Amino acid sequence: MRLLAPVDVGSRRARNRLMFGPHETNLGLGRAFSAAHQAYYARRALGGCGIVVTETASVHDSDWPYERAPAAAEAGAGWRRIAGSLHDHDTLCLASLGHAGLQGSSAYHQQALWAPSRFPDPVTREVPMVMEGIEIAALVDGFARSAGIAVQAGCDGVELEAGQHSLLRQFLSGLTNTRDDDYGADRTRLVREVIGAVRRELGPLPVLGLRLSCDEQAPWAGITPEDAGPLAAALAGGVDYVVAVRAGPFDAAGTRPDSHTEPGFALPLAIALRAALPLEIRVVAQGSLIDAELAEQACEHADLVEMTRAQIADPDLAVTLARGATPRPCVLCNQTCRVRDARNPIVTCIGEPRSGHELTDPEPARDPNGQAQQVTVVGAGPAGLEAARVAALRGHQVTVYDRTSRAGGAVREAARGAGRGSLARLTDWLAAECGRLGVQWELGTEVERLPDSGPVLLATGSVPREPPWLAQCTLPVFGAREVLAGVTLPDGPVLIDDPVGGPVGVSVAERLAAEGRSVTLLTPDTVVGSQLARTGDLAPANARLARAGVTSLKRCLLRGADPAGAIVEDRYTGERQVLSAGCIIDAGHLLPHAPLAEGHDEDPRVVVIGDAVAPRTIAEAVLEGRRAGLAVGAR
Amino acid sequence: MSAAGTYRHLFTPLTVGPVTVPNRIVFSAHLTNYALDGRPSAQHAAYYAARAAGGAGLIITEEHSTHPTDWPYEKLIHGFHPDVIPGYREITDAVHAHGTPIFAQINHNGGQASSMYTRLPVWAPSAVPDPLFREVPKAVTPGDIREIVAGYALVAGHCREGGFDGIELQCSHSSIVRGFLSPATNIRTDEYGGPLANRSRLLLQIVAAVREAIGPGLALGVRLCGDELIEGGTTIGEAVAVAQLVEQTGAVDYVNTSIGTATATLHMIEASMQVPPGYALWIASAMRKAISLPVVGVGRFKDPRQADRALIDGHADLIGVVRGQIADPDFAAKARAGEAGTIRACLSCNQECVGRMGLNRWLGCIENPRTGKEGSLPAVQATAPRSVLVAGAGPAGLQTAIAAAQAGHRVSLHEKSSAAGGLLRLAATVPHRAELGELIRNQLGELARLGVAVRYDSCIDVAAVRREHPDVVVVATGSEPDRPWWAGDSDHVVDVIGVLNGEARPAGEVLVVDEIGFHHAPSVAELLADRGCQVEVITPAMVVGQDLGLTLDMESWYVRAGAKRIVQTTDVIVTAASPNPAGRLTVGLMQHTTGAIFTRTVDWLVLAVPPRPLDRLWHELQATGPQVYRVGDCVAPRRAHAAVIEGDRVGAWL
Repeated sequence: MRLLAPVDVGSRRARNRLMFGPHETNLGLGRAFSAAHQAYYARRALGGCGIVVTETASVHDSDWPYERAPAAAEAGAGWRRIAGSLHDHDTLCLASLGHAGLQGSSAYHQQALWAPSRFPDPVTREVPMVMEGIEIAALVDGFARSAGIAVQAGCDGVELEAGQHSLLRQFLSGLTNTRDDDYGADRTRLVREVIGAVRRELGPLPVLGLRLSCDEQAPWAGITPEDAGPLAAALAGGVDYVVAVRAGPFDAAGTRPDSHTEPGFALPLAIALRAALPLEIRVVAQGSLIDAELAEQACEHADLVEMTRAQIADPDLAVTLARGATPRPCVLCNQTCRVRDARNPIVTCIGEPRSGHELTDPEPARDPNGQAQQVTVVGAGPAGLEAARVAALRGHQVTVYDRTSRAGGAVREAARGAGRGSLARLTDWLAAECGRLGVQWELGTEVERLPDSGPVLLATGSVPREPPWLAQCTLPVFGAREVLAGVTLPDGPVLIDDPVGGPVGVSVAERLAAEGRSVTLLTPDTVVGSQLARTGDLAPANARLARAGVTSLKRCLLRGADPAGAIVEDRYTGERQVLSAGCIIDAGHLLPHAPLAEGHDEDPRVVVIGDAVAPRTIAEAVLEGRRAGLAVGAR
Repeated sequence: MSAAGTYRHLFTPLTVGPVTVPNRIVFSAHLTNYALDGRPSAQHAAYYAARAAGGAGLIITEEHSTHPTDWPYEKLIHGFHPDVIPGYREITDAVHAHGTPIFAQINHNGGQASSMYTRLPVWAPSAVPDPLFREVPKAVTPGDIREIVAGYALVAGHCREGGFDGIELQCSHSSIVRGFLSPATNIRTDEYGGPLANRSRLLLQIVAAVREAIGPGLALGVRLCGDELIEGGTTIGEAVAVAQLVEQTGAVDYVNTSIGTATATLHMIEASMQVPPGYALWIASAMRKAISLPVVGVGRFKDPRQADRALIDGHADLIGVVRGQIADPDFAAKARAGEAGTIRACLSCNQECVGRMGLNRWLGCIENPRTGKEGSLPAVQATAPRSVLVAGAGPAGLQTAIAAAQAGHRVSLHEKSSAAGGLLRLAATVPHRAELGELIRNQLGELARLGVAVRYDSCIDVAAVRREHPDVVVVATGSEPDRPWWAGDSDHVVDVIGVLNGEARPAGEVLVVDEIGFHHAPSVAELLADRGCQVEVITPAMVVGQDLGLTLDMESWYVRAGAKRIVQTTDVIVTAASPNPAGRLTVGLMQHTTGAIFTRTVDWLVLAVPPRPLDRLWHELQATGPQVYRVGDCVAPRRAHAAVIEGDRVGAWL
């Protein structure tokens, strides 16, 4: 594979073209890198990654964009430990350096935000302070000093952040830089000064990279793909590589969108940079490059490939590809790896729960001294499959039962929601791994009673609830899952009641609208899909629904329905309206289904996992499956 | 008559089980996000100690979790971990140094949680998902229930070891006990579900276990919700019955009260200035009629007179004053000393206390920059007093003058208009926002006590600085309305400031543009609707007045906007505004999610858009002049807390 061939980057040689890009982890200890950071990065190095770029560190104390954002001034010791670990595995360590500028937060340092011009961030709406000469000088100095700290700590170089959340991009962009001084007349000036100062600080040898927004998706004044080549050429003097990213102020997930954006969307940007830059300046392709095929394709146009989420999903990406096997797929759900969230969630993966928890969670592996047991798994959804996979991996004999004829459980239906098809790749992979590990299948078999011996893992999933308005409803009612499974709906407009605000209600609405239905989506919240903020799909989902002609009814409760229509009540004013509807779709929560567990509360042989405990998401199902698989025969 | 006599009931000691509280002012439990890694911090100790030093009669700490399945927010104290005890001891020693008793609140949040931090299923009486967290919980088994009860006893033991004088069980607004008590969340069919006797079984088991763990030497209280304000939830009749059951155990020494459910009706638990003071007292009153245990009343008590009155009228035995003591730690001492007028009265703005809790940030206060920094921000005394000229008497300039005068500097404070307060003075003139003005009243009072007079109608320019030749100038000149490129030049396009200061009197059909996302647009929309206008608020954001959610003002805005027929339209940007031949305005709009272009024809367009800093003086003084700083909106127009913090920082550290 081209991806796995070595490549020179500046004075350094990377053992392959695979990069683990900088991203928020919330693993920090205060503003320093922690032992958890070290373990997280080292695990990717062990798995064969060529270059790890650490989480972006603030270069100046005017920047504290999120609570656990690393600060370069406090990062030296952490970088030293991380670089040491990475070098043990022959992986290059680069330190990402940045300043979020007007996209930062004033909540922690309680100072005004810095910006080229008075442009409030669309998300926080906070008016920033316009930087004067003294702040510009301090910023340039901060970048240079921070670069010095990083290479003195043993990093192979630094990467300057002019991508999604960055003051450097804000200076480059006509959207946010409307200055009437030299830094506005030549919007590249500040970035060139920073690059010059950093290169002077580094000397000729350490690697200097630039993460550059080549498309702000705001062509009226922002950086456009047409600008990208000339812009990179103007900046790239002194730089060893440029990462071509899509990033602007209006789409918080522009660089790392979820599965609603086609993978490889940013490849044209890399192609433009490759054409514009001399060959010794490496170009890195980025943008949902989640599988080997795409990565190989990208290697034809670019010198390196950033596969960040793919390596959160499978830290062994490179070694797995090298032995011709299939890595655990990233399904682009953004559910748990995207952690720019006030609650400081720890970076992890729905399919690989150990990611981000390398210090605490054991790694499933064959247990050479274990006593092989006969394990029964009931239910072939993600919980059951992961439990079976891990138990089999550890040397147990596993049989998986499912009452349906196929593996995948509820994920099969979820993956039929608009833009969610990639979810099934995870359960398909789990099933394939189970097969590879010799798991026995008993599909199409309803388990009526527990086996007489051996551990029993019950992953029997969920059943529909009775929605609170059901007694007042004489219209046909369908569950979201039934609709996704393809049930035939009666004619007429469809009303979807979505008290959850997750991806399900939205994906059902989109799918039905695409089929030509008249769709109304009802939510108790002030926005539709309120829980999608974490994945970055909140604003995009609302825009897609608007474009698809879906009517969003916000701040409303469904009270009942009859042939005259659905009765909908405003949560705050109590006013009611009647909406024409041919049927109601309930996108509400589900209830656990574990009849075989009844009477076995205190039976250590019986373990209930996943939705059968409480219907939640794939993440909890896989985590509980993992634990159950690890617990079989554990001493 | 002494002040303690003025508030005679407030300053009468009370026996609560084995504990004597010196007065009736309770700093009741509230989140602070001061915990570090699940342990209490030195900041906790400093924070509580400041209120003890300030005369609080009783302090009840924030909740300590009783079980590893309970971790709904990041900075929760893990009381079940024995590591907490040294931190408990630090807190109780610091508070006891002032002779003040301190209780620990212990709790399991039950279904009002997610598995984000625990990576374990959420526990609840039934598989009923919480309206905020929206995670289906696991219905606990009898074995789980035994673990829950044991967890309470364990943590009560930790608290006892840590030196607390009592334990409060939070069974009120975010608790597994509330979950069991409430018919809305408990649909069990076993001995813990159904009739009240069953639904209260867990509570009574916990009371027994905790009393056994702490023995007779500590007080034990139970905090109950009088009305969950949710469909099918607990209301006052059952709440009183539960209070009676609690009293009948003989193991409990007092009952605390609350209203609302933290994950459904939080806006009524920590009500903003939009809700009348004392709004939840009726719950304490109802309970006090039914039981003989002391009862704590709560709910926007911000004035000692109001608290004393509630005692006189027999509604409660103790009064919870939380935000009042966040804003002024010396609330009780000042009342006792007959200086109630000097209390830095809470605004109930919810911006930096409640508003920061929901964002996982440490608790602060809009008008007290030392709140949350009691342990790290010492009072500063200048070694060499200097003469300081402050230009502008908005919140930033006022706070600069206060801090500089406190540090010992000679301050002259100049205001170009005839009144202090800047934009805040205008903001306090709109419906339901009057208490915001107390910030200015408090600052002016403080300045008067420090002997600093505001020089009104005094416009500072470079010449004036030369004339006064101070050592230091602090520019606090604020901001002015900006006019976006799309706004045109019609005089029927006005900023919200122009409406509030009376320069413009919009009438007829009015379109209000919200690009700020806070009170500006909603407040002016209401004002104009009250004057008979037909009002529509549009915003490029997904929600009008988005940050009203943080301060818990969103719900009441929706209620009143509905009543006033104010239309709200989202995801829309303005592209042009031009007068039409009919003498009205044609406003060009675009829905940015679809690209659809449309127009509205209205009589007025009112703009809530980011203002422009008034920084000319600061720039002019850069070239020449003495040492110069700038604070508040003239740096970047932001909210009042930023002005106060910057004023305090610059004034104290000149």
